[in-house]
Amino acid sequence: MPVHDLGYRSWRGKLAPDYTRWLVIAHTGIRLAWRSSWLRRMLLVAWLPGFYMGLGFFLFEQSLEYPQARRTVSQYLSSLPNTNTLADSLRVDLRSDDPVKLGQARHQMWAALLAILFRYPQGMLMVMVVGIVAPPLIANDMRSRAFLLYFSRPLTREEYVLGKGCVVWAYLMMITTAPALCLYLLGVLLSSDLSVIEYTWDLPFRVLAATAVLMVPTTAVALCFSSMTTESRYATFGWFAIWIFGWVSYSALTSFQLQSPGMNGEVSSTPWTLLSLYHTLGEVQSWVFGLRTGFSDVWAEAVVLIAVTVVAVGVLLNRVSAPIRA
Amino acid sequence: MVATERESNRETSVINLHGVTKDYGRLRALDDVSLSIDRGVTGLLGPNGAGKSTLIKVLLGLVRVTKGDGDLLGLKLGSESRAIRRQVGYMSEDDCYLPGLTGIETVQLTAQLSRLPEIEGLRRAHEILDFCGIEQERYRMVETYSTGMRQKLNFAQAIVHDPPILVLDEPTSGLDPTERQVMLSRIRVLARDAGKSILICTHILPDVQAISDSVVILARGKVRVAESLEQLNRPISPSVHVRVAGDSQPLVRKLQQAQLVVEEQETGTLVVAGAAQDCVSEIWSCAAACGAVIRQVKSSQNSLEEIFVEAVRENQSARA
Repeated sequence: MPVHDLGYRSWRGKLAPDYTRWLVIAHTGIRLAWRSSWLRRMLLVAWLPGFYMGLGFFLFEQSLEYPQARRTVSQYLSSLPNTNTLADSLRVDLRSDDPVKLGQARHQMWAALLAILFRYPQGMLMVMVVGIVAPPLIANDMRSRAFLLYFSRPLTREEYVLGKGCVVWAYLMMITTAPALCLYLLGVLLSSDLSVIEYTWDLPFRVLAATAVLMVPTTAVALCFSSMTTESRYATFGWFAIWIFGWVSYSALTSFQLQSPGMNGEVSSTPWTLLSLYHTLGEVQSWVFGLRTGFSDVWAEAVVLIAVTVVAVGVLLNRVSAPIRA
Repeated sequence: MVATERESNRETSVINLHGVTKDYGRLRALDDVSLSIDRGVTGLLGPNGAGKSTLIKVLLGLVRVTKGDGDLLGLKLGSESRAIRRQVGYMSEDDCYLPGLTGIETVQLTAQLSRLPEIEGLRRAHEILDFCGIEQERYRMVETYSTGMRQKLNFAQAIVHDPPILVLDEPTSGLDPTERQVMLSRIRVLARDAGKSILICTHILPDVQAISDSVVILARGKVRVAESLEQLNRPISPSVHVRVAGDSQPLVRKLQQAQLVVEEQETGTLVVAGAAQDCVSEIWSCAAACGAVIRQVKSSQNSLEEIFVEAVRENQSARA
């Protein structure tokens, strides 16, 4: 019972800016997702690969000061996937005393470590984190008819989708962008002087670009699945199915290529990459980090990602307004 | 002339529709609906499938009309939907909530979606939940609420941003009789004290009878009745209903001697022909003369139920 029951009172006050509505949806979604203990555990685990990559930064910076540590760098690189070419190239560059060549070697090493972080451990964790966060976002709203709560307000479906997308992006940034930028900062702090920034200033921007490449298509696909059902478990199933199906198909089709002589354990881009969203993303991210020289190497993958995003967003927007139109 | 009529309607009405038609494929949900809804409380009635929900969606700009136009508080339907939704508080007949949120968080969220700042939204949500009679339950998850509690929460969501127009879809369904009365009194307070214009969509005719100023009856997408309740209640041949304690025959004889036409119903109620202002004093005089004890005297009214049934029947026979 209220202390003073004043009945109904009118409200006069200053309204918040117009753009805040999608932020409200995002904020609420982030808070609700945070209640999942599985997600919190996952986020904690997501930082562990960052520590291992941090070791790489440390060893590399040590090897510049102490040449005897270069063998350890080679051993470290051999523990990472698809680094044989990089190891060969570094072996040559590190022999030189030319600061420009050493700067280029540092750029190459840091970019490779960040690309590996994005592509392998965080790429897999991304599938799991999005698999926990995204499926209930729209499916639950449809089941509980919460869309009426949203759309009877001055809110567009684009703002709604943006708000929901921001929930996924926030968690994706926690497991990809944040550790990657921390690694870059660690590298700068471990280096002997700040001239390192001259050679590596572009890496934070590449991290942000790689994050965008990762976030936009994956979020669009995940929300698209979520909007297609009122049962979030079906959306979860669909989400994991496309990654597993793509991965298995790609692995099966490239297994013979991998075993053929001269492949050095690394498979370059093949048409089969387009079957797997995971590998397609990886190829474009490699290009973003400068590990592939020209856009011509990855244009097909980029087109596939754009097409997937456009189709997913189209379906998503249509599905979001469907229950209201009915 | 039509334009002048429209202008004058705009001054007194909050909602104006002109020839609004809405088709869902081959199904015509609204058929050339033209009406003006004035300030105050308006009951929107109609059988299932009459087009009430579609009309609400049209008003909120959630669906595009196939033909026709209209405005709400001078804002054009369709092109100014977002501005319209700022001015309208909508209470859905269905449960709509965000799973995982408490009652207070839900109302705060809706306040923020209507652009109230975060802290102010929380303060206002508490204020409105007090008004709606949701006490400590506001800190419980919405999923655990009873139907009645959810109904009150829906109502709180509709009014939290203090809109000038309220569209309430079945606001009293699922409420027990006491809560129903309380809800109706809240609606009355909003209309009378806060000056809200309220459109109530319901099947519970006594609710409409109790609080509405005017009534709109839809049937098969067409407006069958759009009148003030006072006008509708006025019977074609006025009469006065009299209930007497004990034997009514002495009073009947006395009234007949006074040249009044009296009919006794099976329930014992006497129906005296004539307008109240003409015959009530005569009835009291006759009662005093014969020693009859009068329990109740009231003017006869057309019942809303009869009007509703008649309107729907007319529509069905027209189709046949």
